[in-house]
Formats: sequence, C-alpha cells, structure tokens
Amino acid sequence: MLKLENVTKYYGDFLAVDNLSFEVKPGEIFGLLGVNGAGKTTTFRMIMGLLDPTSGVITLDGKNIDYDVTDNIGFLTEERSLLVKLTVKEQCLYYGNLKGMSERKILERMDYLLDRFGISDYKDKKIKELSKGNQQKIQFITAIINEPKLLILDEPFSGLDPFNTELFKDMIVEMSNNGSMIIFSSHRMEHVELFCKKLVIILRGKSVLEGELKEIKEKYQKKNIFIAGDITKEQLEKITGVYQVVERASDFEVKINDSSIVPNVFQEIKNNVITKFVVEEPTLNEIFVAKVGESFEK
Amino acid sequence: MKNKLRYLTEVSLKRKIKTKWFLVANALLALAVICVLNIDSIITFFGGDFNEKTKIYIIDNTDYDFKDVFSNQLTVLDQSVNGEESESYEFILTDKSEAEITKTIEDDENNALLMVINENQETVIGIKVVSESFIDTIQYQLMSTAINNSKTSIALATTNVSEEELNRLYSTVTIDRVVLDEDKNSEDENMEMIMTTVFPMVILPFFMLTIFLVQMIGAEINDEKTTRGMEIIISNVSPKTHLLSKILSGNVFVLLQGGLLILYFGLGLGIRFLMSSGDIASGLGSSVMDIVNQVLATGLSDKLIYVIPLTLILMIITFVAYSLLAGILASMTTNAEDFGQLQTPIMLISLAGYYLSMMAGLFKGALFIRILSYVPLISAILSPSLLVLGQIGIIDVIISIIIVIGFNYLLIKYGLKIYKIGILNYSSKDLWKKMFKAIKEK
Repeated sequence: MLKLENVTKYYGDFLAVDNLSFEVKPGEIFGLLGVNGAGKTTTFRMIMGLLDPTSGVITLDGKNIDYDVTDNIGFLTEERSLLVKLTVKEQCLYYGNLKGMSERKILERMDYLLDRFGISDYKDKKIKELSKGNQQKIQFITAIINEPKLLILDEPFSGLDPFNTELFKDMIVEMSNNGSMIIFSSHRMEHVELFCKKLVIILRGKSVLEGELKEIKEKYQKKNIFIAGDITKEQLEKITGVYQVVERASDFEVKINDSSIVPNVFQEIKNNVITKFVVEEPTLNEIFVAKVGESFEK
Repeated sequence: MKNKLRYLTEVSLKRKIKTKWFLVANALLALAVICVLNIDSIITFFGGDFNEKTKIYIIDNTDYDFKDVFSNQLTVLDQSVNGEESESYEFILTDKSEAEITKTIEDDENNALLMVINENQETVIGIKVVSESFIDTIQYQLMSTAINNSKTSIALATTNVSEEELNRLYSTVTIDRVVLDEDKNSEDENMEMIMTTVFPMVILPFFMLTIFLVQMIGAEINDEKTTRGMEIIISNVSPKTHLLSKILSGNVFVLLQGGLLILYFGLGLGIRFLMSSGDIASGLGSSVMDIVNQVLATGLSDKLIYVIPLTLILMIITFVAYSLLAGILASMTTNAEDFGQLQTPIMLISLAGYYLSMMAGLFKGALFIRILSYVPLISAILSPSLLVLGQIGIIDVIISIIIVIGFNYLLIKYGLKIYKIGILNYSSKDLWKKMFKAIKEK
C-alpha cells in the first residue's frame, strides 16, 4: 500500500505541498488532480524519492522510499522522458537495468509489450524516428517493463489516437486487476472518471476534495437534468432553483442547485410535450471546476 | 542486486565508443598522425626534382678570382645548414654578357641566378644579383654571408698575411662561460630554450583531451536532463552515482583515446622504420634531430623518472576536476545552448594554462606564473613545465597535486549539492540563487 501521511514540501519559503495525506491500496486506481502548479509534480517526485518531503512520511508497503523501493515503481512523466538517440531496445534495456532487472527478463517483457501495442517492428528503430504516439507507447512500455507494484501515470494519453487510448486503458485496467497500485493524473476528467474510484483534488498543494468518486458525486448537491421537448430556454431559466441552462443540439442541460428542485422543474414543464427528462449526477469536470473555483474565491 | 554504477558507466562508455563517429574520428586521427610522421616519404612518393641545384652564373669583372672563394664559402654555409651531404648550388663562371644570361634566366632557367661582380672604390667590390623572382630569405642570407666572408678572405690574402695566421683568424672562437648561480649549468640553459618550444607540443594532447572530456560529459548530462529521462534515472540511482558514472566513463574514454594516440604515434614510427630500412631518424630533418639530441644532452632523461609520474598523477586528477566541473555546470543548464556558453570559461582556463606554459621560458622566475602553477585546472599543464625548466622543484608539484585533490574534494562536497538540485531544475530563473541556496543546504 502507498501511504502519504501529512506530507509537506517547502521550496524555500514557497509551500508546494501542504499537509497532504492519502492511501492507495493494491488494485486501486487513484486520481491525483489539480490545476497547473497545484503541486502534483512535486508530489510525484516525492513518491519517486526524487525530492525529500520537508515533513511527513511516504511509505510503500510500510517501507520508506529508497532506491530498492523505487525498483518497484513505474513512472510515466507528462513530458517525454525518452533518450531519443537510443533505439527502442536500448531504451528498454537502459531503464529496465536501472530497475534492477536481468537483461533476459527485460527482453522477454519488451517483446511481449511491443507485440501487445503492435509495434514489434520498431524494436531496432531510434526513438527520434518514431511518431509522437509511438513514442508515447514506448514511454508507457518503459514505465511498466518492471511490472511495477506502483505505477504513476501523468497524462498517459497525451498524443494518442482513440484506438491506442483504448489499448492503454486495457493495459491499465489489467494491471489494476493484477494488483498494481496506480496513481493517475490527467486534465481530461472523463479519463479520470473512467478509471478512478478514489481521488484527491489538490490546489496550492492542499487537498480540497478527496474520497470515493461515487460518494463525492452523491454528496455534491448540484444535479443536471437533460430535457427535450417543445420548450424554450427562457422558460427553463425562470424556474426557481435552476442556476444555468445550456442549450445543446438536441436537448437542454438544466443545472439545478440540489435534487429537491427536480419535482419543481417537472411541475413547471409537465404541460409541454416532453420527449426526454433525465436526471444525472454532475460530471467530475463540473465538480473539479466548482471546487477549484470555490477554493480560489476563498 | 545489480551494480548500477558499473552498469551506468559501461553504458555511458559504450555510447561513446560504439559509434560510427568514434571509428571515423579515430581512423582520421590515425591517418593524420601516421602521415605527419612520414610526410617526407609521402612528398617523395608523389615525385618532384628534389635534387635540383640552383645554378649561379658568375660574371667576374675583378682581378680577385672571386668565384672560387665565393663558391667555397657558400658550399660550407649550405652544408652547415642542410647537412654535410648537401650540394644545393652549381657555380658557373661565364664570359657571356649580362644581357645574354639575363635572357637565359628569363626564358629558360627560372631557378638560376646571375651574380655580376664589379670592382668598387668604396667597398672594394660591388655585387649585382639578377633572379627571375624573389630569393627565399635563408638562401639570400647565406649568399650575403658568403659574399662578405669572401671579401674578407680576399682582403686578408692580399695583405700578405701568412697561411698560419689566416687559419688562426678563421678558427672558431672558444667562449668560456662562467655562471655564478651554482644550481645552473649550460645544459639548463639549453633546456630552457628547447622546452619553450618542445614541452607545449608534448602537452598539446592533454589540452585537446581536456576539451574533449568537458564537452563529452556536459553534453551527455545535458542530453539526459533536457529529455527528462533524468527523472527516471535519478529515481533509480542517486545523483552521486549518476555523476560518478559519467566521470568514470569520461575519464576512461579520455585515457583510452590518449592510449590510441600513442598507438598511432607508434604505428607512424613503425611505418617510418620499415620504409627507411631500420633508421627511424632518417628524414626527420637535421633540425628536429638536433632538438632531440639537445633535449637528450640536457639530461632530461634523468629528470623524466620523476617528471612523468608526477605529471601523470597531476593530469589524471585534473581530468577528474574538469569532469566534476563540467558535470556540475551541465546539471545547471536547461538546454544545449546554455551548456555551450557555460563551457567557454572552462576552455579559457585550460587555454590560459597552455599559453602560460609556453611563456614560462620567456619570463624566467616570474612570480605570477609560479603562483598560477599551484592553481587547480591550470597546474596540470603549468606545473610540469616549470619543473622541467627548473623554475620549481618536486615539492612544488606535490603541493599542486595536494591542492587539486583538495579542490576535487570541495567540488564533490558542494558540487554534488548543486548537481542534485540542478538536474531536476528546468527553469533558468533565479538559477544562481538556487545553486547558492543548494550549497548552503545541509
């Protein structure tokens, strides 16, 4: 289990991470979200042992982070971390060896992963000769070559087309099912929503929202009603408790302050010809924007 | 458990050696060294009239029989410069007119000269030399000296000086040198003159390898850092291990390259040996052999017993110092251009040491140069130079070695702190502030 307990990091006088705590259990995919500069990279670097926390403790399976522990961690950075002058094979061997793997094991695992991602032909090609998407695949492969206990994924789908995104998703889910702990960070909330059962949103290094995604959504008062029929936007905007109406191609997205407003809305439009009336939880994106907005206001 | 230091060092070394550019560069280097050492054979191989004599037509309008005296004088001077076997001139006393010979030189014999000798009331004789083009400086000086010596010779002969007296007048004057400094002798004097030109050439490979080392280590660290691969690497090995691997691989590479240079030199001499039927010295030129012989005559071979080990120790630890400095500076840079700018001061320091070592013989006893010979980075070049010149002693070189070791210790102690912060820093904003702050951290 990865455990962060009251972790704080100062760069001089600047507070980058403020008393952050969370746990990731085996098989969990955990979302670490935040706007740019929120402290995500600093948190990742502390988990990887690249930076020492000013205070607090980080442990993986009860052990403090050291170079033996990091052999069991995989890290996919947001920016390219490949040595572009190397061939795919050389790159895999380089990072695999640094993880303490035997060459035989590295080559076995590399062949399996290259085949799985459909790029076996590129084994002896230099990384700089590959497309952006294929470079991202190689970066992912080098991050998981050691079958890590803990995998940190920072914007893993960057540069990928929808087909390859699916390949990545399958692999991530498979690793999770096999017991790997995965920390997932992305600005694409639909991806986070797809994977993460648990998450934390940090702002200025401090946690502003954390917990199970399902609970977070349930606790979040605001809901969305999708309505289609012979109704106008102005009519919907006049209903008490409705704070925004978004006109879409085939329906209206009516945002309401809490679920008690739903009967009011229904009452107001029931005499119209209604073809669709669906109440849904807010998206993670909405919750994220709202939470970050609130915190900025504070 | 893998030895990650060994692995990183091996990988780094392989990246330097297992490249086509390493092979190409060394092939060219070997070719250049072998060609330079056998340049005379190469020139001869492509042909040319190397034994063509310069014809000197002489029209002697005097009664002094100048031609014979002049030809003897010029032949002796020619042989003293170009070797005892040299026969560079052919002297032709002619009855033809000046105009006829001039036309011959102009039309057919461009390399020939005409010397017209006339009597002159003020200077006894007057000489006119006609040539198609300019006469090279050495040849002109030899001719001028031969003309004046001939004139003196003729003058002495016409004043009824006895042959015995004439021989005494022409004999070489012996100079009895008395040097009051007991530590100095004539050999030292020769050595100062010779080492001013020879030693800088000997240490040129060190200077070249230093530049090579700085560029190589800096570029590799900079490359890993700018591609962000550094974050993956440093999460698996400590910054200390990482830097150490670069220093080890860089220095092993430099020593290997130095060894290869010696091998190429040996190959060049071997080829020379085979081509000259067992005589390496043949064709090296009398001036080069004179320098070699003079160097040997100075008793340098005795000094080499301690000069070579001390110089090697100083050079190796200075290579380490340059490596550490290059690595630390590279860690602070955010792109290749930044490192290009940062390595310029290192090059200038090394260059300063090189020039100072050449100037050391010209400014004997200069306190400024002596003080600089203790300064790390410069001392590897300057200190051995001064030792060979006799301006400093073994103790001074040992002090220089101790200072470099201390310098390396400080670079490791404080530089590693900078390195650890630097390699994960991607912003050039407040860079120096961050570095000084890193040094202060416990």
